Amino acid sequence: MKDVSELTNFYYQKLFPTLEKLEDDRKTLRKKIIIFGVIFTLIMLIIALALKDFFDYIIFIYIALGTIMYKFLIKDYTHEFKQNIIKPLIHAIDNNLLYTHKKHISEHLFNHSDLFSTPDRLGGNDYVQGNIDDTNIEFSDIHAQRRHRNSKGRDSWSTIFKGLFIITEFNKNFTAQTVVLPDSAQSSFGNIIGNWLQSKNMARDELVKMDDSEFEKEFVVYSTDQIEARYILSHSLMKRLLTFKQKSSHPLHVSFIGSHIHLAIESNKDMFEPSIFSSLLDYKVAMEYVKTLHLAIGIVEELKLNQKIWSKR
Amino acid sequence: MSTSLIILIIILLILVFMYNSLISKKNQVENIFGSVDAVLKKRYDLIPNIVVAVSKYMTHEKSLLQEITKLRAEANKPDISDAQKIHLDAKVSSALGSIMIAVENYPDLKANENVIHLQHTLNEVEEQISAARRAYNQAVTDYNNTIEMIPTNFMASYMKYTRKDVFEIVENERKNINVKEFFN
Repeated sequence: MKDVSELTNFYYQKLFPTLEKLEDDRKTLRKKIIIFGVIFTLIMLIIALALKDFFDYIIFIYIALGTIMYKFLIKDYTHEFKQNIIKPLIHAIDNNLLYTHKKHISEHLFNHSDLFSTPDRLGGNDYVQGNIDDTNIEFSDIHAQRRHRNSKGRDSWSTIFKGLFIITEFNKNFTAQTVVLPDSAQSSFGNIIGNWLQSKNMARDELVKMDDSEFEKEFVVYSTDQIEARYILSHSLMKRLLTFKQKSSHPLHVSFIGSHIHLAIESNKDMFEPSIFSSLLDYKVAMEYVKTLHLAIGIVEELKLNQKIWSKR
Repeated sequence: MSTSLIILIIILLILVFMYNSLISKKNQVENIFGSVDAVLKKRYDLIPNIVVAVSKYMTHEKSLLQEITKLRAEANKPDISDAQKIHLDAKVSSALGSIMIAVENYPDLKANENVIHLQHTLNEVEEQISAARRAYNQAVTDYNNTIEMIPTNFMASYMKYTRKDVFEIVENERKNINVKEFFN
């Protein structure tokens, strides 16, 4: 697999003609958005001044209409960007991977991971699926939300999870359900109270205390089987998950269920979206696309899921 | 009168809680030792197959093969204590490790499909044993902490609970598990 610097080279060399064209599109689009935005705001302001009693509704309409118009304006540009930049980048990493811009990890699989509560609305995009080193992998951006209804019957939405969701085959056989979550209790309350609080988590299975202090500091493990949890989370896998977490620099949720490993990287943003207000040729922008893709597709190698030294074939 | 009754009830509840926590910790240790025993048995069952598969080729390691067969017989004796089981396990681990390293010297053996399959199975069993040992050690540590910490230590000494031993995780064990090199 190509490393990050090779991919960056690919981005700047092979994709350069496309990038230049897209960069022109971006500048025009930016101008269009600003002009549209100013005119739209002015019109709404005038309406608001004329109909002072409906201020609440006007703000609501302003935001809703504004979002729809923004999405409409960037639609073509986004499509171009994904087809001509993200897709080739993914194929540069591995030619066998399939990329679908509008699909996402299915709700069934998301719920099956047991990492989050069941969402009322699940969206996402940038679905990648394929086989790396004999190991099936799929991932996509996911935005899972919960509905809250207030006394007036008006809905509001809160985010359960937003970020990258990766599912791959695991190379060991197991039957138990094991969940690895970011550790918030232990870091805020210390070891003894934190551990006690964790063991009292009614929504989860039994607490599994791991024998790697660094891992214990970052994560909390719940499982239906104390031994199988440790069979899955060997010393080396704990180290690898720690490294992976540091690389991604976002909270990491992992679960091992039904012969698969599910990883949710909580970046709280839509990952492969084109930048509109900063240049596509900006190194930082480029690095983010390259690094995220490399991280997601590299998971098989990083966690050594391609190492089939167990009886599972 | 009523205050002293409430205090009495609270004390009683605390005592019940302490008692139950001690019992559950002890049972957890026993329960997990049961699983350790089960995976250890799985490995002992594998030993005859390994010995048969490699003995045809291995001419210089006869003593090693004899030793491991002896260890297996010892482990299969009824009424051996938990401490003995833990002791035997360490010996078997190192003997099996040596055999697997010796396989390296026999190209025919290395390529033998049966042996490769046995290696995979052994690899998996070893990893399961390692996991069971780690789970056992954690359960024992929790148990030992409870019987030594205030205030449960008073009740534990009254109930005649004593410290339990953990499995020594031998440093070279991690190398033994990692038989990846055989496939390179």
